Amino acid sequence: MTSLPADTQIAAESSFRPARRRRLTRARLGRYAIPYLLILPVLAAIGAVLGYPVGYLINLSFQRYGLPELIQHTGEYIGLHNYYLVLHDSVFWNTLERTIVFTAANVGLTMGLGTLLALLLVRVSTWVRIPLTAGLVLVWSMPVVVAVQVWYWMTNFENGVLNAIFHLGQHDWYASTFSQLGVVTALIVWGALPFVVITLYAGLAQVPHELVEAAEIDGARPWRVLKDVTFPILKPIFLVLTSLSIIWDFGVFTQPYLLIGREHQYASNYLMGVYVYIKAYSDNDYGQGAAISILMLLIVAILSVFYVRKMVRIGDT
Amino acid sequence: MKRRKFVAVGFVALAALVFAIAAGGVSGATKAKSITVWLQTDAQATNWQPIVAAANAQFQKDTGATANVQYQTWGTHLQKFDATLAGGNTPDVIEMGNTEMTKYMAAGAFQDLTADKASFPNSSTWLAGLAASGRYNGKVYGVPYYAGSRVITYRTDLFKKYGLKIPKSVAQFAAEGAKLISTNSKKGYSGLYVAGTDWYFAMSFVFDYGGNIATRVSGKWKGTLDTPKSIAGLTAYKNFFNAVSRASKTTDEAHPQPYDQYAANLAASVEGPAWFTCCVKKYTPVTAQFVMPSHVQGQVMPGFLGGSDLAIPVGADKSLGEAWIKAYTSTASQKALEAIGNIPNTTSLFNPKKVNERAALRSWFVPTAKNWVNVENQNILRNMLAEILTGKLTVKQAATAASDDVASILNASV
Amino acid sequence: MSVGAAAASRAGRRAERSRRTRRRKLAGRTGWNIVGIAVTVVLVFPVFWMISTAFKSDDEILSGSWLPLHPTLQHFRSAIAGTDHPYFWDSVLNSLFVVGVTVALSMVLAFFAAVALAKYRFTGLKFFIVVMIGIQMLPQAGLIIPLYLVLRQYGMVGTLTGVVVTYMTFVLPFAVWTLRGFIVGIPRELEEAAMVDGSSRVGAFVRILLPLVAPGLVATSVFVFITSWNEFIFANVLLNNHAKQTITVWLSYFTGTSRNTDWGALMAASTLTAIPVVAFFILVQRKIAFGLTAGAVKG
Repeated sequence: MTSLPADTQIAAESSFRPARRRRLTRARLGRYAIPYLLILPVLAAIGAVLGYPVGYLINLSFQRYGLPELIQHTGEYIGLHNYYLVLHDSVFWNTLERTIVFTAANVGLTMGLGTLLALLLVRVSTWVRIPLTAGLVLVWSMPVVVAVQVWYWMTNFENGVLNAIFHLGQHDWYASTFSQLGVVTALIVWGALPFVVITLYAGLAQVPHELVEAAEIDGARPWRVLKDVTFPILKPIFLVLTSLSIIWDFGVFTQPYLLIGREHQYASNYLMGVYVYIKAYSDNDYGQGAAISILMLLIVAILSVFYVRKMVRIGDT
Repeated sequence: MKRRKFVAVGFVALAALVFAIAAGGVSGATKAKSITVWLQTDAQATNWQPIVAAANAQFQKDTGATANVQYQTWGTHLQKFDATLAGGNTPDVIEMGNTEMTKYMAAGAFQDLTADKASFPNSSTWLAGLAASGRYNGKVYGVPYYAGSRVITYRTDLFKKYGLKIPKSVAQFAAEGAKLISTNSKKGYSGLYVAGTDWYFAMSFVFDYGGNIATRVSGKWKGTLDTPKSIAGLTAYKNFFNAVSRASKTTDEAHPQPYDQYAANLAASVEGPAWFTCCVKKYTPVTAQFVMPSHVQGQVMPGFLGGSDLAIPVGADKSLGEAWIKAYTSTASQKALEAIGNIPNTTSLFNPKKVNERAALRSWFVPTAKNWVNVENQNILRNMLAEILTGKLTVKQAATAASDDVASILNASV
Repeated sequence: MSVGAAAASRAGRRAERSRRTRRRKLAGRTGWNIVGIAVTVVLVFPVFWMISTAFKSDDEILSGSWLPLHPTLQHFRSAIAGTDHPYFWDSVLNSLFVVGVTVALSMVLAFFAAVALAKYRFTGLKFFIVVMIGIQMLPQAGLIIPLYLVLRQYGMVGTLTGVVVTYMTFVLPFAVWTLRGFIVGIPRELEEAAMVDGSSRVGAFVRILLPLVAPGLVATSVFVFITSWNEFIFANVLLNNHAKQTITVWLSYFTGTSRNTDWGALMAASTLTAIPVVAFFILVQRKIAFGLTAGAVKG
């Protein structure tokens, strides 16, 4: 067995070693810069407007800041005391727990019903699809404040139409916390469905028709077609919509505040969005309101790190 | 290269954004002197606008400056006010509800008008119940604007039909209300529609019996809902409610609106603000009002006085603000406000024939504590009433719990 | 059996199966249609209630009747032309301006950023995404005052530009995130095919990606339109001059007095505010349908 002469070996090895230093050509720099340039406008727009508020909120959360301080533009620094107060307030934890359950229910219903409706849209004839889409757009176009008024009317225990349809007499839909939040859930899901359905439908449009037909002709049941062909393509959109729904439903304010009513907001039916508003504008404790806002931000930011890693991995396939 | 072209497009979009910001309008200072006035949207009603216009004209004549009146809604105006306080660009005159004043007065949001009080029109005969809401720690921060009282709106035809007279005592009213219920078998029909948690009405009973919500004792607030007099009042309310009203025990006085009940013939009379007569639809010709009687024969029950004050926020132009307020609360202006159904801010213009004005003469007001709004926001009184009426707690239990809550909220410092 | 005969019988069986599939599909389709109609009725009921109330006479509103048997236009008249609620047309124009600019600018900016997020790996990618998501988590209530202060610094309080800028910051994270989802769904083979053709990467994106992502772009732009059109809290705080207010602020005055609410007028006004949204959707909905037939991937 002969081995290569030493100098030949070294020469051979060095030709396989990747070059360490590559020349920084303008083209190469331009290519690396592209993604940064693409996100720059968005970053600038958001940063210019939200940069200060976020900093302001963080700063505020370390101060005792009530109405007198607001008027005089100076607060008193109390370190982490606001966070201490918030985290030791049972109302905060109860509200957080209630909001998590509420969000889970809302997102589950929205995404579940939304997917079913999007699939329904694909399967119905055109003469049904048009009114259904039109109906969704009409629902979507209703301003939230108006929707709340109409829903309040419909669920009014005195002469609400819902009681009339289901022959429930004078059932008070706002009697218990569960019932109140149930009606709010129905209202929110109803309002959220159009966007989810239409976006999923647009996503379904990206599913190649040939693949679906081929699978069906090969004898695959609709369920398998859904699972193996449709859903993998729909997955990124589906996950995006789910994440957005979670974010919105977690911080929702207008619907519960207006539908349940200003006068009926109690610690027993607060949701996080309402809780922050009441702390800041009813109790005028802006410091605590800011602390709660930052806590909400952190909770989601931490949770989203795992989620983002997963999303980015999906993007790489 | 195509790549550069699209990078360029991105920059153009960014530039467009920047230019839009720059060109889209920067709010600058105007040259002519002008003040900003925030009035509530009630003043946008067709019959109210001429009064505002007249005041603006008078103001311009007096000072040469113009008034820019911006109308706000009750639900959001405090939020907006807070933002302008933080930003240092408050309006020069702001209309505040009388129950909204205390918190802001205590926080130092308004300028002290005590020294100039005498120069305001009719200040010596200001309606006491309303003027009290503009005072804090002995200083005047708000000028009374107009008031609204609560009265009983009733069906004259039904009263005539069943031979009922305008009641002179609670007991008489209770009997009449029960009689009216017996005449109509419709479910939920009330002799007097009173919402269960209508604390404005319920507290009137408390004050009628000499009780109070809370009093200040050596600098600290003490809840007084559990005193014997207050409990007597609450018990009287409970008995009265059960006799005359078939409204829900847990509902508030705006859901549903009492006048809707009245217009749908679900109530022979309703309790509420005097302007309810606007909305009784086909029963307008047979509708009249009377003042709620006391439990003491021949007396009037103290009523909750609603209304608004006008204040000048800190940092605003005090002399011009005062000039505008003087123009808007002049005798002529107040007469015009009275003509469209409001209660003027001065008893010198009172007409004994007007039911709502008679009701305003004996009134009660909430404790002037800076945290009072929190008591309202946390629905302490509403919850107490719901518990009493549904029987969940006895009057004494509910009142004691509420009294403690009220005291702890009022004494809390933020 | 000869090869030809076997092939023929296989083809015959396949044809038979596809005929059966088609028949099953037709029967199934009728069933789905019925479900579709039922769903439409239930979903649209509140909207129907709003529109029907807008046309009902006052008595009918009170009695809670379902249909306006004596329809009247008085509510529409009092909503638009009544002196109690001035500035309707100004509000419509202001809203159209705000929404138009917001949609146009945000879609352009978001598309580029979404491309970056979907197709590139770069340091800070994950951080950027976390920031995008986190921003949407900030509760509106907390942002009101600081946002007001910032815009005051820029001199934008009381201007429509300030409102546009505010809306942009709210819709951009969402638009970027959603568009990224759509772009990620496009198979890589397409871009690579285009790049082999000689175009640059970004050029490939625009020529190939854009038409395929069109349905996603449309759905996102409709959402941005509707969100901006219906936004109330910030428009209300930032705008003071009645001539500058947006349509939702105008609408809030119907329920803003301390007195009774004119329900008929409120419903009529609300119906009117919904029209531009529906119009916009009608304009762009064809793109979504196109996507359906154009979504095919050859090969």
